[in-house]
Amino acid sequence: MLSAMQHPLLFSRFPRHISSSFAKSRPLHILSSAQPTAGLSVADQSPPSNSQILSIRHSLLSGHFTATQLAESYLNRLKLTEPQLNSFLHISNNVLKEAQEIDDKIKKKEEVGPLAGVLVGVKDNICTADMPSTGGSRILEGYRPPFDATAVKRVKELGGIVVGKTNLDEFGMGSTTEASAFKVTANPWDLSRVAGGSSGGSAAAVSARQCVVSLGSDTGGSVRQPASFCDVVGLKPTYGRVSRFGLMAYASSLDASGCFGSSVTDAGILLHAISGHDRFDATSSKQEVPDYASQFISATFLKSRPLEGLRVGLIRETIDEGVDSGVKSVIHGAASHLEQLGCMVTEVSLPSFSLGLPAYYILASSESSSNLSRYDGVRYGNQVSADELNSLYEDSRAKGFGPEVKMRILMGTYALSAGYYDAYYKRAQQVSLYLKHMYLSVILFGLPR
Amino acid sequence: MASRTSLMLRGLSPYYCCCCFFNLSSRSSSSSSKLFFLGKNSNPTIRYCSTKATGGASSLPPPDVTHLAKTARISLAPNEVEEFAPKIQQVIDWFGQLQVVDLDSVEPAIRAESLHENAREDIPETFENREAIRTSVPSYDDPYIKVPKVLNKE
Repeated sequence: MLSAMQHPLLFSRFPRHISSSFAKSRPLHILSSAQPTAGLSVADQSPPSNSQILSIRHSLLSGHFTATQLAESYLNRLKLTEPQLNSFLHISNNVLKEAQEIDDKIKKKEEVGPLAGVLVGVKDNICTADMPSTGGSRILEGYRPPFDATAVKRVKELGGIVVGKTNLDEFGMGSTTEASAFKVTANPWDLSRVAGGSSGGSAAAVSARQCVVSLGSDTGGSVRQPASFCDVVGLKPTYGRVSRFGLMAYASSLDASGCFGSSVTDAGILLHAISGHDRFDATSSKQEVPDYASQFISATFLKSRPLEGLRVGLIRETIDEGVDSGVKSVIHGAASHLEQLGCMVTEVSLPSFSLGLPAYYILASSESSSNLSRYDGVRYGNQVSADELNSLYEDSRAKGFGPEVKMRILMGTYALSAGYYDAYYKRAQQVSLYLKHMYLSVILFGLPR
Repeated sequence: MASRTSLMLRGLSPYYCCCCFFNLSSRSSSSSSKLFFLGKNSNPTIRYCSTKATGGASSLPPPDVTHLAKTARISLAPNEVEEFAPKIQQVIDWFGQLQVVDLDSVEPAIRAESLHENAREDIPETFENREAIRTSVPSYDDPYIKVPKVLNKE
């Protein structure tokens, strides 16, 4: 589900607070609103022109510029903006070398993958063998995994260049990057504001064009929310669509690696690159991965009211009292926009909607308390020496974890304690299924025909 | 991760914004909870909202943070225990909402979605990059990973 609606009237230029040479680079391409056009055959429908990935590929193959030149341009912008943004925890030393390899292949007329020359940021809770992967935590400061995450491996196989590891709230726990053990990422649109989280670094990096696309992870909104804060496209795929192998686990039943891009097409191309079954992740789906990008049509080729017939429910409880009026008006604006595009939008009531958040919290805290028990200072990570084994665990974890992480582990430990499992974890599982039934019944029976 | 939710007030039902619990620069509250809007600097705007815990959670004993910390193998200083305890209590009261829903007819799903059989063949494979694993071990004495002795407490 895409979190950022690129409103045609907003954000027509680059962030003002960054220095002027930065603002001269590539402007944001905004999807134009649908215009009336006579029906066209499939062969006439060109892909959207706002895709950086496709335009990079075109330029590289036509010799308009080289991968090295492109990489240099991005790296210069990255270095210029990084002191103000703090999106990255680590920047690769191999970018130009990898770009040169792409150029060599192109010169020899060899095949290059769809992500050739594309600079990709990777959230630091996704393992990369040749770069540190800290998860935003002191307990893994300096840690180098012995393998690449499957998502990273696939990006590299398709020619993508990992430009660096982006900042995040520690182990994905947070919504502002303020819970990172190392730094806070600023919002490129207003440096006094946060970039959101937990994938704040990945969102800011794409928003400020420090890289073309980036990978993040989303357990309870951690790709969608920072994408919205930084005005980029952020996509959380369905659980199981993308392999979690190499993604540092937070809540194993909820985690999903997601994509950031400056356009829907770019997010779709990246999603296609990383999706698919993985033998190293038993929870990864065996369902076929469609070619998302080939299904995108430029807005100029759409007939008017292209979403005619689509019925949309707007959950009343999400726009009730207590919601900021600015937020309410943006949501109503989006609903009107959908109506202009042909949807029938109906307000529906889902009174049990609010149970989702406490249920999520119980599940996420419980699973994280279990998942983070592997960080004990014994086989990897930073160790506080002690005379006795339990003290080694306790002190290494006390020193290595931030307060947010400790809180959630303690909460999860409580919810899973003997005698409490039924009241909390099991109940949260039931509520989760109950909510799914509620959603389905609203979709099937609650929307007018 | 904490999703950025809206605070909804409806009568006695306690709806908390998740920002509320997990900002440890807050002072602990008694009966009212504070909603923090987290800007980049920690000068939060505090909006007070009335909350009352409902639901059956109060029938379970309050969390013993010291015991939880031992179970989770995290050493906590006494001031940390004092700081965490009310926050944890607040969240647990908030969890109480789930107690009032009638769920007798609902099976607890492992996941809300269903998944097919997905295990790979049970054939051992050698991991190639063992050297990287070895170099990551903080205290290594080939071929042993060294740890201090275990003290029997019981």
